Amino acid sequence: MPTLEIDSLAKSYGTVRALDGVSFDVNSGELFGFVGSNGAGKTTTMRIILGVLRGDFGEVRWDGAPVDLDVRKRIGYMPEERGLYPRMKVGEQLVYLARLHGLDAGAAHAAMEHWTEVLGVAERRGDEVEKLSLGNQQRVQLASALVHQPDILVLDEPFSGLDPVAVAVMSDVLRTQADRGVPVIFSSHQLELVERLCDRVGIVKAGRLVASGTIDELRATDQLQWHLTGTMPETWTPDAPGATLTPQGPGVWRVEAESTDAAQAVVASALHHGVVSEFTQVRPTLTDLFQGVVSEEEVAA
Amino acid sequence: MIALIAKREFRTRALSKANLITSAIMVVLVLGGALIAKPFLADDGEPAVVNVDSAIAGDLVPYLEATAQAQDAHVVFESVDAPDTVDVDQDGALGEDIAGLITGPLDAPRLYLAGGDDALTSVVQSATQAAALDSAVEDLGGDAAAVSASLANSVPAVTIVGETNEFNAGQFFSGMVVVILLFFVLIQSASVIMMGVVEEKSSRVVEILLATVKPATLLGGKVLGVGMYSLLQAATMFLPVVFAAWYLDLFGTLDVEVGTLVANFAVWFVLGFALFTILFGGLAALVSRQEDIGAITTPMMFLMMAPLYLAIYLVPNNPDSTISMVLTQVPFFAPFMVPMRSAFGAISTGEVILAVALCVVTIPVLTWIAGRVYAGAVLNTGGRMKLAEAFKRG
Repeated sequence: MPTLEIDSLAKSYGTVRALDGVSFDVNSGELFGFVGSNGAGKTTTMRIILGVLRGDFGEVRWDGAPVDLDVRKRIGYMPEERGLYPRMKVGEQLVYLARLHGLDAGAAHAAMEHWTEVLGVAERRGDEVEKLSLGNQQRVQLASALVHQPDILVLDEPFSGLDPVAVAVMSDVLRTQADRGVPVIFSSHQLELVERLCDRVGIVKAGRLVASGTIDELRATDQLQWHLTGTMPETWTPDAPGATLTPQGPGVWRVEAESTDAAQAVVASALHHGVVSEFTQVRPTLTDLFQGVVSEEEVAA
Repeated sequence: MIALIAKREFRTRALSKANLITSAIMVVLVLGGALIAKPFLADDGEPAVVNVDSAIAGDLVPYLEATAQAQDAHVVFESVDAPDTVDVDQDGALGEDIAGLITGPLDAPRLYLAGGDDALTSVVQSATQAAALDSAVEDLGGDAAAVSASLANSVPAVTIVGETNEFNAGQFFSGMVVVILLFFVLIQSASVIMMGVVEEKSSRVVEILLATVKPATLLGGKVLGVGMYSLLQAATMFLPVVFAAWYLDLFGTLDVEVGTLVANFAVWFVLGFALFTILFGGLAALVSRQEDIGAITTPMMFLMMAPLYLAIYLVPNNPDSTISMVLTQVPFFAPFMVPMRSAFGAISTGEVILAVALCVVTIPVLTWIAGRVYAGAVLNTGGRMKLAEAFKRG
């Protein structure tokens, strides 16, 4: 199973260091979510993978060998700034792009018909791209990334600007592609979506990959958290070493504890002082993790 | 790959509605103009018919015909039985399509003209004078034929001293047609390429394209496709003009060699195209939006208009002056100077070969510069990029 390896990429624009040694791997059949704040380096990384930008340092490898033009032809790419010929018809355009990627005329035409059908823009084949709504242009853009049956998918913000139906269609397509054995990298700011969809996630911050792994791996923190709701008085403070309580509102607390035993001690104390209606372990969402990462950096700075 | 890109460029341009309509209008205008103009220009195709009274025809017609031929008048004379009187107030009294009627007596003929025709008057006058002279000579016992021959021979041999300053309309016309057509075709194709480059940049489609093709291939395909399109366009302008000129018999009148014209155009179209359009296609990558394209078109216009004006104003007055000869060897000037000078026959084969060779040497250098600038600048967004920076990045 070939793997896409991104190895110590570095890139500077003048004095601004856009990428500072970004490394990660994406295996075949894996959905890799790429998150980070604006200007963190996601787009730069993707452009370097596609070869539309030259990195100062580092290498991108596919199946152990550096990515060259032949491999790039097999990548499906959706740039952050959408780009299609505005005055070219949807069908013609997709056929043209498929042929540029090396398909013959017949296969290109069949692929165009297939993807416009799947993505729900089949009846717009004869229209010029600029006449389509932005959401439909986005579907065509995705079709242009898929039309040549790519071996690798690199999508920059594929979900931005889509309605919920289109988001569902797009998610399905990405999942199907990954199941087909294609490594899929996509960036997004919709963290719940990334969390739900991705096998693995990488968080970039100021040109560095600060965290990467499966969602569960990222969640595995030292500090466990619970959510506690009950009728305990506001002045209540449990005698539980190793646990801290933070009021979240009337009758709601967040419990952070080093161990489950410490947390149980909190519950025991709570039961003495009132009626506990809810006590659940809180698993940090990707949003929490992301905010943690960002604030961590800010504290360090 | 490059063929695919070229084909798209060609199809997009050539099959655009605007192009089809303007081309059709051009062809219709030129051909229609020729068809309409033909009857007016071809007026002297049919000879004017002049009737001569049969009583004097036998004696006068040989003189009339000789004089008409000598004076280049396109007239035929027919012997008829003239009516005794002609109703001079009535239009067409002389008969349908008859330009004039000559009646006797021989020594004092009367000429009726349908409409004032000075040429015919002069022909008849000279002819009757010649007839009168001949009969007078014979009356005196002389040899009329010998007198005519010696009269005909007594023509002065003319030699012009100093500059003739003769302006040859045919040469000027053919030179102008080639350079102006070249100018329009080149400026148009350069603009089309530049707009294409900026369109791809501003619509960001270039990022998808460059993920699968090299910048040089993309620019090359574009130049090739637009080149084909421009050639087709030039043909739709040029061929109807040539046809119209042939149909109206202008080549004969203006003494123009079509072969030289077309050869000049073909050679300098290819060279000029390579010189101007590749360079400006590369430079166009420096700007990101159509609004900013003026920053590139202005120097381009200047670089093409200066040679055109110099070729038009310098060459006709003095085709082999030193400045013309020097400019002929400057690559950007050559596409306009050489056809203009060769139209005036004022350029040696050696000079042409040198000019072509210098262009051929310059083209790869310019292409290399253009390719580098293009590769360096094409993915840059935002403001206008500096030339040196783009070149360094490329």
